[in-house]
Amino acid sequence: MYKIISEETDKSGMKVLNIDKSDLIELMEDYKDRKYFLSSITGVDMKDHIDVIYHLHNFDKNDYICVKVSTTDEKVPSITKLWKAAIVDEREQYDLMGITFEGHDNLRRILLPDDWVGHPLRKDYDLNKVQYVSVDRDGNEHVSFDDKEGW
Amino acid sequence: MSHWIELNIGPVHPATHGIYRFRVKLNEETVEDVDITIGYLHRNAEKICELNYFVNNTIYFDRMDYIDAMNMEVGYLRAVETLIDMEVPERAQWIRMIMAELSRIAARMVGIGALGLDVGMLTPFFHTFHEREKIQKIFVEASGGRQEVNYMSIGGVYQDFNDKIIEEIKEFIAGFKGKLEEMVKMFTDSEIFWQRNVGTGVLEPDIALDYGVTGPMLRASGIPYDVRKDSPYLFYDKVNFDVPIARTKDNMGRFLVKVEELRQSVRIIEQCLAKLPEGPYFNPKAKKSAMLLLKGQGDVFTRVESESGEFGVFIRGDGGVKPYRVHARSPSFKNLAVVPIMTKGSLIADLIITIASVDAVAGEVDR
Repeated sequence: MYKIISEETDKSGMKVLNIDKSDLIELMEDYKDRKYFLSSITGVDMKDHIDVIYHLHNFDKNDYICVKVSTTDEKVPSITKLWKAAIVDEREQYDLMGITFEGHDNLRRILLPDDWVGHPLRKDYDLNKVQYVSVDRDGNEHVSFDDKEGW
Repeated sequence: MSHWIELNIGPVHPATHGIYRFRVKLNEETVEDVDITIGYLHRNAEKICELNYFVNNTIYFDRMDYIDAMNMEVGYLRAVETLIDMEVPERAQWIRMIMAELSRIAARMVGIGALGLDVGMLTPFFHTFHEREKIQKIFVEASGGRQEVNYMSIGGVYQDFNDKIIEEIKEFIAGFKGKLEEMVKMFTDSEIFWQRNVGTGVLEPDIALDYGVTGPMLRASGIPYDVRKDSPYLFYDKVNFDVPIARTKDNMGRFLVKVEELRQSVRIIEQCLAKLPEGPYFNPKAKKSAMLLLKGQGDVFTRVESESGEFGVFIRGDGGVKPYRVHARSPSFKNLAVVPIMTKGSLIADLIITIASVDAVAGEVDR
């Protein structure tokens, strides 16, 4: 059985459950049985660790809850087996925040080109380092730090 | 004997309604698999928002769902105002509601018109854009912007409604009611429109829920979920309107749900105009000199009903004058992801109609 570390209410009046990431799958399975659906996944870079925030929604009871886990090694278990909505959400968070979702079948970048360097939403991401994207005849994108490459 | 073709649609193609790339695996004319590449319009608004003061960010939200800018602003401001405990005067909230509904009508006009174009009907497109133009004239009168309006701000709106704007809105609503029925008749009188839309792009409700689909797509699958009704914001609990659903789950169902929602939007605007109170349109606590000093601490996640579905905004404040993290839960992003399931085994021509009926906006998908 999963253990809830602490329970609070945030400013918008939503119930927040703080749990350990080893309990994540078990808790999510429980909430799936109670007819909750995944609404969104958010990663927040807190410099020494990353918070991963799941918002779940029950359409019958019109209830929203928020589940928070924190990770220091940038890895959390994937919940794509429970809700298909997680496929694109986890890909997005992997792309922009660099969180590896263990167990995701197709964890690749979704918004940025495949060989982009770095994860832009990290606080230590260098905004001054410009990367250039070129598109070849087949429509595949290539990224380079050199603006002449690909032309 | 099967004959495989891999067909590339997009990124720049009239049928994609924005910039996405569809790589379709075809067995003769039957769609076997669709691979969607997105990100051509990615600007990382979430990162840009972290670099700005709370008040600066409305313009980046305008450019997410760029055809429904007012609802994006309502969505962002609902989150920010919850975070920084800012009260909004009653008149400003009613004004926001009128603008949000006008914007919803304007966005639907693009969606429905483009659906007609993809079926091969040129005429309704001109009529829908004529109506959209009238709404944009109202926006210009109120804010100075046609599409990217930047009308709302923390604590209220940029400019009060004067008599001329109210008169224009009343005139528009009076004309639009008849015009809408005329436009809908153009669609529903067409045999081709029925044949192309009925039974294509079927989305079962359990798949829709599993994929996180919201908005008219979910309602057309038979689930009456609307944020305006289920968790009212602004004054949506003080006006009467219905949430339409369709049982057919197909493209025609989605079209009819969108049309019925237009009628409901008109109803909401009429009630808003009747109830619009006198009073301040701006909270004096959020005056210009104090704008940059607004501080927020903690997490909020609020959501509003935008044109394409449930638009949620997550903001974490660290007690500073800038947001620590902003995340937008964009409905189009989820709605587009279900297209491969909806079109599997259908004809390539039905794929085009389904994409038009999903009506995903590239700016919101890519953010």
